[in-house]
Amino acid sequence: MRKKLIIVTMIVLGALFLSACAGGAVRGTSWPGLAADGQTAYLADGSFIYAVDLSNGTELWRYPGTRNGKLTFYATPAITPDGLVIVGSAGTDHSLIALNPADINPETKAPVEAWKFTGGGDHWVAAPLILNNKLFAVNSDGNLYVLDLQDGKSIKEATVVKLKGRLWAQPTTDGERVYVTSLDHSVFAVNADTYDIVWHEDLGGAVPGSAVLGADGMLYVGSLASKLERFDSATGKHQSVLDAENWVWSTPAMDGDTLYFGDVAGNFYSFNTATGKSNWKPVKPDGAITASPLVQDDHVLIATESGSVFAMGKDGKVLWTQQVGGKMYTTPVAAGDLTIVSPLETEFFLAALDANGRQVWTFTPKN
Amino acid sequence: MWDLFISIFVNVLLWIYDVVGHNFGLAIILFTILIRIVTWPLNAQQIKGAAGMQELQNDKDWQAIQKKYAKDREKLAQEQMRVYREKGINPFGSCLPTLIQFPIIIALYQSIIRALASTPLDLLKLSRSITLPNVSELIPLNSKFLWMDLGRPEAVVIFGFALPTLALIVALTTYVQAKLTMPATTTPGDQSAAMSGMMSIYMPLLLGYFALTFASGLSIYFITSNILGIVQYAMRGKANWGSLIPGFLKPK
Repeated sequence: MRKKLIIVTMIVLGALFLSACAGGAVRGTSWPGLAADGQTAYLADGSFIYAVDLSNGTELWRYPGTRNGKLTFYATPAITPDGLVIVGSAGTDHSLIALNPADINPETKAPVEAWKFTGGGDHWVAAPLILNNKLFAVNSDGNLYVLDLQDGKSIKEATVVKLKGRLWAQPTTDGERVYVTSLDHSVFAVNADTYDIVWHEDLGGAVPGSAVLGADGMLYVGSLASKLERFDSATGKHQSVLDAENWVWSTPAMDGDTLYFGDVAGNFYSFNTATGKSNWKPVKPDGAITASPLVQDDHVLIATESGSVFAMGKDGKVLWTQQVGGKMYTTPVAAGDLTIVSPLETEFFLAALDANGRQVWTFTPKN
Repeated sequence: MWDLFISIFVNVLLWIYDVVGHNFGLAIILFTILIRIVTWPLNAQQIKGAAGMQELQNDKDWQAIQKKYAKDREKLAQEQMRVYREKGINPFGSCLPTLIQFPIIIALYQSIIRALASTPLDLLKLSRSITLPNVSELIPLNSKFLWMDLGRPEAVVIFGFALPTLALIVALTTYVQAKLTMPATTTPGDQSAAMSGMMSIYMPLLLGYFALTFASGLSIYFITSNILGIVQYAMRGKANWGSLIPGFLKPK
């Protein structure tokens, strides 16, 4: 009997060990997605989307009202001009959901679904792009789904543009073309009206971040080949313009002629697109940089894996630092006078910093 | 320490993946063969232990003590241990190696999930695990193998029903392997043989459940490992194929 108990215990322990490493709808599956409008921050974090009052850090609502094992969120929410919050699930149901914060279900206390698109074949990791009442949403199944927002509802059958690889980054647009990056090392340009693929180029490394359009009309893309590439946005002709020390994960941030971006080795770069040269030697804050920099009036904010926020002058000098804690992979967002950050491995899910880096409030979900 | 273990697994898997032309399923199969070679002494001990236990069932001294102390379990256990010592048999020798597989299974599962990196955080963790050069050319790994996505549980849809083929094959091959190496229970009250008998029921169910629930890459490991185990045992020419039939070797 005792031996039988030992066997059963071993088996249960084995199952528990494997279950524990299988991942699920819990915080930490990946880093959260964060967006904000004038009054509210929207955090896609594990099992829930949280809406948080920017004035005091209190929870306004969460979606779904109760945990749903099929839903996992870490894609950055997109906010439509008419106030819908659109976010895709990385859970098993592969749904892209439009929430209406103006219509709260009194029973669940969660916003009602304005519509739900379930035609995606895999996880939604990236925020969709909204252009001319159309939603360009990329999925890990390698497809770009174009949904019509004209009547405020999604058409059930989206236009599917077949691209390649896992698509993890929000598409970029110049109004004429939509640029999509892929983990299969590709960058695609898709006609925004006809949805034809205009060009498709290989970068030699996966591209987890978005492309960014420079003031010079060129397209800039960082990749896991540890390079910053410059593309002719019309033809796709490209060349490497900067060698980074390690993987360039984040989407570069544009400020006039200057591009700011970091790499996974913790270097922070400032590249002048007009001269084609770095403005200063890379600086190393204190940890890996996966988040995009946040450009402010006179400085740039950088969130690092070490849980710090650095305010860096545009001359490369550090103005102030704030140790928020945990690990920061999510791009900070500006909300009025505040900067909102979302660290992992901390008790709180959000922290609001003022212009000098002082913590104004934190948000920790109840339950 | 555990993370280092995972990193070693990931690097070996990626190296094989690169060598075999970016086929992750084949990489898992070759990796399993490598694991089998590394754990060869353990498997040999398992086979030796099982064979010893089987031979013991026909030993007259063994049968005599079973009868003599049938009503005194404590004394029976003492006598059994004496016989084990005298004959140099480890009664747990046939099932311990199976249990030792657990850390390997868990590490392999974590390695597969990390290598296939289905979330941004997984991909970032992967970047810290790799020491191979030119890894950016390999990433992301091709997770497709035959009809499977190796990062996800497998099921083949037939007439609208999702049939978990890999889980069934895993359970079947685990059963075959366990039964072949299990000592025949001819003596009532033989606890070690009874324990092995329980393992031959629980292990197929457990591994079948794992195959049903977790990434199909893990099932590839189970099936390859089981087949290699069966072949290794059969090569000794002492495989008890009759024991595969339930009830074939009931105590008389």
